[in-house]
Amino acid sequence: MRRVMLLCGGLAVAAAAAWIGESVSSPRAEVHAAQAAPAATPEMLAKIAEGSSQFQQKCSFCHGRDAGGGETGPDLTRSKLVLEDVNGNKIGEVVRTGRAGKMPPFDLSSAEMDAIAAFIHAQQAKAKAEGGRRGVNVEDLQTGNVAEGKAYFEGAGTCAKCHSATGDLAHIATKYQGLQLEQHMLYPRDAKSKATVTLPSGQVVSGTVQLHDEFFLGIVLADGTYRSWPVDKIKYTIDAPHEAHAKLFPHYTDADIHNLMAYLQTLR
Amino acid sequence: MKLTRLRSLALAALLSAPALAVQSLAAQTLDPKTLTLFHQPADVWPTYHGDYSGRRFSEITQINQKNIAQLKTKWKYKITGIPPLRGSGPLVIKSTPLMVDGVLYFTIPDHVFAVDARTGKEKWRFDFEDHGGHVLGQRGVGMYGKWIYFLTPDGWFISLDSATGKERWRKKVADEKLQYFTTMAAVIVKNHVIIGIGGDAMDVRGYLESRDPETGELQWQWWAEPLKMGDPGSETWPNQAAMDHGGGMTWLPGTYDPELNLIYWGTGNTNPVFAGQGRKGANLYTDSIVALNPDTGKLAWYFQASPHDTHDWDNVETPVLFDMEIDGKPRKLLAQAARCGYFFVLDRTNGKYLVSKPFTKTANWAKGIDERGQPIPDPGKEPHVDGSMVDIATGGATNWPPPSYSPQTQLFYVNASEGYSVAYLYDTSSDPQGYGGGSSGWFDPASSLIALDVKTGDVKWKHTAKGLGGEGGMSGGILTTGGGLLFTGDSRRLAAFDSANGKILWSEKLDSSMSNGPSTWVLDGKQNVIVGAGDTLYALTLDGK
Repeated sequence: MRRVMLLCGGLAVAAAAAWIGESVSSPRAEVHAAQAAPAATPEMLAKIAEGSSQFQQKCSFCHGRDAGGGETGPDLTRSKLVLEDVNGNKIGEVVRTGRAGKMPPFDLSSAEMDAIAAFIHAQQAKAKAEGGRRGVNVEDLQTGNVAEGKAYFEGAGTCAKCHSATGDLAHIATKYQGLQLEQHMLYPRDAKSKATVTLPSGQVVSGTVQLHDEFFLGIVLADGTYRSWPVDKIKYTIDAPHEAHAKLFPHYTDADIHNLMAYLQTLR
Repeated sequence: MKLTRLRSLALAALLSAPALAVQSLAAQTLDPKTLTLFHQPADVWPTYHGDYSGRRFSEITQINQKNIAQLKTKWKYKITGIPPLRGSGPLVIKSTPLMVDGVLYFTIPDHVFAVDARTGKEKWRFDFEDHGGHVLGQRGVGMYGKWIYFLTPDGWFISLDSATGKERWRKKVADEKLQYFTTMAAVIVKNHVIIGIGGDAMDVRGYLESRDPETGELQWQWWAEPLKMGDPGSETWPNQAAMDHGGGMTWLPGTYDPELNLIYWGTGNTNPVFAGQGRKGANLYTDSIVALNPDTGKLAWYFQASPHDTHDWDNVETPVLFDMEIDGKPRKLLAQAARCGYFFVLDRTNGKYLVSKPFTKTANWAKGIDERGQPIPDPGKEPHVDGSMVDIATGGATNWPPPSYSPQTQLFYVNASEGYSVAYLYDTSSDPQGYGGGSSGWFDPASSLIALDVKTGDVKWKHTAKGLGGEGGMSGGILTTGGGLLFTGDSRRLAAFDSANGKILWSEKLDSSMSNGPSTWVLDGKQNVIVGAGDTLYALTLDGK
């Protein structure tokens, strides 16, 4: 599809003309949408075309021009939220409020929002109809060998030093699946570090690290109070649970990762 | 000649009009003599990098290791009256301001600002309404005589009068409907305004072009792939279609050696981005450093940093020029810390390598280097359906923020991301398009300021920021000075390091993380350090005076 309008890379003008003629409003997407959703009317197609234009301007850099994922944003054609959305009720909420640290809020009219939602749904229908691979599926991460994964868990991987298949990791594969499970396995990003701080007075306090940089350490004590100090005024140690995971990276082969994943997926 | 005429016009105005009016209308004029390879005059910052070398080293010594503790904010200019930009949220200054005749010129997407360098008061502002394109960044303006050049998200190349900010003309240089966009600070070389473009959402060709500074008309275009099968380099592509969709964007300002009359440019990642099975071969000239003749756009030599890239390792990072004696012989060199995790030092007369070495971890996507010093990609570490672990973080080992080279220390400095990621192949068809895969994770993340020995590529020292995410980590570009200092952003502060050993000598909190490359110049006998952080530009001097 992407190729249709790119007849002549050397001549941007000619290519542009072809692009405008062919699919600036994604007519193929509309056709697919029309096929996938029998209720599509000329009004609906016009709305999808308008949504495509809005999407190209506001969303495509992050989510890709076909909503299939891009520079920084996820593939919307595989999004659970999009699946559950009805006429923009869920998409609109995310678009208008943004996602903290990930996506800015957008101030859109309800007509613009309707059109964008219609376009995203059309793209989702199209992706489904085409059956193209657009992401990592749960079964993609089941190529490993369970027995070797178990051996790695208990041996070379040193996982069993901190974890237990029947303890903290029991039912882990029910809690997380696929890529989400793999990411938790590789690096427990959200695990909180603990700090033990010796103050100039000699008093020792400990808590969960909230802030730590060149200049300051801030911790939350057991009673919920927050305290911070310039790092050059205190002595401290930090216990970071993800460090044991970090140490594995230089030693992992891809097969180790695949085997370990296969094993963890048996812990249901 | 033109400059002389403009000056005499300004003089005529001075004699005939009230003084106040003259002051606001007098054209700031860039003297071409200030455009140098090295050693630009202290009272001007005439290009994105200050000089043509991209070293971002200033010889000014007024602020130095002894008095750095007295550095204070003299003024702040906060952008007001502009709502958050569509698609990119809060306003962020990524541009390096030019400083000419006491006026600073800087940008955010769609807007140009002229601010009095002495007071921080706005002189004029140019507001543009785009019709598409991406607004994720704007690196600044270029200047030729009294004319300012500005590029918009939707590919307009606009010339403004530096005295008033009034538009002179505009030309279309990139088609936003093909997902091209322009963010670059135009580079002025003789009578050429050199413009690069971005955009890899649609598998289009990268190009670089030169325009006439007076008329804006096209002088030449250089395409990032050979135009047709049979042309040199086409043997690294399987067919014409793959070549026509190969990417290789040119979105950061390059550098220039006037004596060799060559411009040096980085080219971006190959397309389709992660799925390389439809474009077997090295895919020239994507992910390369290219040396071009600025008068003709003809290729003199190339060095490919990521042959057959399948990891989105945009090789646009600044090719920094410096001279040095090696084994008793004076050498003209070029260094780049590349997004693929390799540090390269090349002979800039011919592209032959002296150093080719990973600068973060092992760069395990490559099996080693070939006889030209180019990394050899490991097919085993290409993106796979079940994932392939790479010891470089998603987004690469470094990115657009400008690095620095100090001739004082003979070290090259770069803000780097360290960590691991897993690359997945989504599209397994024989003719994939678009991204076709993805990279996940910044595992075991670290953000480091790394000082590299240019003779060996060895890490001389490294400062790893303790905090990460949110406000933590290293941020923005790097400036080194004759005062033995290195300025960069660290954990939402502007920090000055000892450039010899990486010790933090001073820091000051900013309202947000430093977001551009710092610059410095002397005005009225005072050295100023200029930094942008979010929507605010800061000028710092000794004692804030």
